[in-house]
Amino acid sequence: MTDTRRPLRIAVVSATTAAMLALAGCSSGAPVADDGRLSMMVPYLSTTSPSGDNAIHTALEEIAGVELDITWVPNSSYADKTNITLAGDDVPQVMIVQGKDPGFVKNAEAGAFWNLTEHLADYPNLTTTMPEVQEAASINGEVYGVFRARDVMRAAVIIRKDWLEALGLPLPQTTDDLYEIAKAFSERDPDGNGVDDTYGLIIPKWPGGIGSNSPYDVIETWHGAGNRWTERGGELVPSFTTEQWLDGVDYAKRLVDEGLVNADYATLDSADWNQPFLNGDGGIIIDVHSRAGSIAALFKQADPEHFGRYVDVTGNLTGPGGELLAHPTAGYSGFLAIPKASVPTEEALHRVLEVLDALNSDEAWPIVSSGLEGVTYELDGDFAVPIEDAPQDLLDAVGSYAQLGTNVTGRPGFLPKPQSEAEQELYDKRRSIEASDLEAAVYDPAAGFVSATYAAQGAQLDTIIADARIQYIAGQIDRDGLLAAIERWRSSGGDRVIDEINALADDVD
Amino acid sequence: MAHVARWRWLYLLLLPGVVYFALFRYGPMYGAVIAFKDYLPFLGVTGSPWVGTAHFEAFFASPDFPRLLGNTLILALLSLLIAFPLTVLVALLLNELRLNLLKRTVQTLIYIPHFLSWTVVASLTYLLFALEIGPLFQALNGLLGTDIDFLSDPAWFRPIIVLQDIWKNTGWGTIIFLAALASVDQEQYEAAILDGAGRFQRVWHITLPSIMPTVVVMLVLQMGQVLNTGFEQIYLMTNALNRQVADVFDTYVYFMGITQGSYSYSTAVGLFKAVVGVVLIFGANWVARRFKQTGIF
Repeated sequence: MTDTRRPLRIAVVSATTAAMLALAGCSSGAPVADDGRLSMMVPYLSTTSPSGDNAIHTALEEIAGVELDITWVPNSSYADKTNITLAGDDVPQVMIVQGKDPGFVKNAEAGAFWNLTEHLADYPNLTTTMPEVQEAASINGEVYGVFRARDVMRAAVIIRKDWLEALGLPLPQTTDDLYEIAKAFSERDPDGNGVDDTYGLIIPKWPGGIGSNSPYDVIETWHGAGNRWTERGGELVPSFTTEQWLDGVDYAKRLVDEGLVNADYATLDSADWNQPFLNGDGGIIIDVHSRAGSIAALFKQADPEHFGRYVDVTGNLTGPGGELLAHPTAGYSGFLAIPKASVPTEEALHRVLEVLDALNSDEAWPIVSSGLEGVTYELDGDFAVPIEDAPQDLLDAVGSYAQLGTNVTGRPGFLPKPQSEAEQELYDKRRSIEASDLEAAVYDPAAGFVSATYAAQGAQLDTIIADARIQYIAGQIDRDGLLAAIERWRSSGGDRVIDEINALADDVD
Repeated sequence: MAHVARWRWLYLLLLPGVVYFALFRYGPMYGAVIAFKDYLPFLGVTGSPWVGTAHFEAFFASPDFPRLLGNTLILALLSLLIAFPLTVLVALLLNELRLNLLKRTVQTLIYIPHFLSWTVVASLTYLLFALEIGPLFQALNGLLGTDIDFLSDPAWFRPIIVLQDIWKNTGWGTIIFLAALASVDQEQYEAAILDGAGRFQRVWHITLPSIMPTVVVMLVLQMGQVLNTGFEQIYLMTNALNRQVADVFDTYVYFMGITQGSYSYSTAVGLFKAVVGVVLIFGANWVARRFKQTGIF
């Protein structure tokens, strides 16, 4: 070695050490000063995020009495951004957390977020009128956030009305009816063009795993498998361990095997879900009622005169057991959580909760849910009629600010007014179906429980079942392979999850 | 110190590089300690409890481990055995082109895919192989008389990945070999021609031996990258039906760490991958030296 290299090596080592020390020094986050500002992290679903100083923003700041400093994050990358933000230095004072995923649960249990169980009752607009939903959104009874209330009954079967009429078929009541309709749509040329170019059910590549309200999950609930968890012999078990779950999967497999489902059900992008329906390739979608409305609106663009002919909708279907078992949502979509890193004291927590209380007041609620009256919408009875010539960016912003809505007091919002007879008809139908389905709703009995094992490895466990299910439907594995996957779920930690969930349930009783 | 003073301008030139490596390469390595901790952001790196090698044990014991290792190694080997020799071959072919205009045109054309992002390449693939309507779907199935869904059939996942890799990177990879080829002494060729050597004999006895050191260095460097299977490419081509063959270390680290928030566990997986990469580099270097070729160190 020549002499010239020695000083270099020393330089490298000392520079490295200095860099390490520098990094170590800044790893703890500095609390944000209380300066009349509230920082929030919120997802948005439109193509662009709202600009910082729009009229809705200003109106909400006025009601809340603080400056709202909102970081808008695209919904598609929100989960990633949540985990990265939690690990970073600049944690906002209020974070919308989209679900009880393992990362959130572990952090919450370690004390990263304020436990609000004892606090919410002090704020009239944060005291829920739906304690069962709050319970479901909790982690084993501990409330770590103000939940964002959602319609409980949304599941719907959307069907090409013109195809049903062409074939002289009624709307389905049972899963057997649905099978017959799917078969007829595939084989009896419902569009009357003389070419065999149609099929029944449209299923996309589902982004979530099991128990994520996918068409498969809904079908399984109809077959009596319960909703994620179910009770068998006094014990709570995951629904995929039941006979009825296998029946539901077999039902889906039969539809696929007989070619009654789009062939690219494993790869079709869920953003393109409506496309085959609009193009007249497939005729059935199992999803939520609001999709029927958006499909009708798309038909309206293409055929303003007769668009009412194309879309019909019905609710949950009766399974082979003869009993209507409806698939409800969890009743909430994530919650507003308050990190301790940015809200260090109870006083500061009090101030944050006051703002959230104000944002859910009677005064703020119409703005959060519908925008500004007279600027983005006009009231017509209980309906909001959008003002067409309002600035487009402001109209887009309405949906983004709706993400702030908690509505734990369950006020009805102003729904967009149906703009034609056909849309009114769909809307009325939806309301009556939702009401009757709600009585048959099968709730997840384990919704409020989070097992320690599940928090640690639930993601890997769920993937085992979700992948095996689709592989079985595709014919890559046989029934024994599917059962083996369920066995692998058990031995990889699933049995511990079952034990822990039942222990938690026993504690409550 | 006298040396430093004497060569101060050279040291100054070196400084930005040293600072870069210290700040962005060595500095962040401090974070790797969380592989041995149960890291929770709220507690911080120093506050999180030590768990020793628990995350490594959990990973090696999990049923995911053999699958990930297998998938990663198979993809790496395919790339090493098919894509890498192809790059050398294309460079040799280009070198044999005597018409300069043609050579430049071909070079430019095969460089272009390198500048497309994987998102674009994946979208193109989806369009070309789209079920029922993709032109390649129709052509290939028509030719084979089959009805294969190339995008979801696990058997076709690896061929598609390798093909994408070749399409995107072969042209770009030839640059360094072409540079090496340009420095081959032309007199050797002239002498060989006088001795009556044919074209293939010239390639085999002059060109290839001349660029062999470059090939070996590139191969050794490639070995270190073997486990970096290209996160974006694989992530974009994965779906529920081909996940069994598609999951590799990189996608797993992303899924567990970023999506699921298991920071420590995924760091342990990433660290394991890095250690294997270092072992492979040293191993390949050792092998290269055994065969009396110049290694990289």
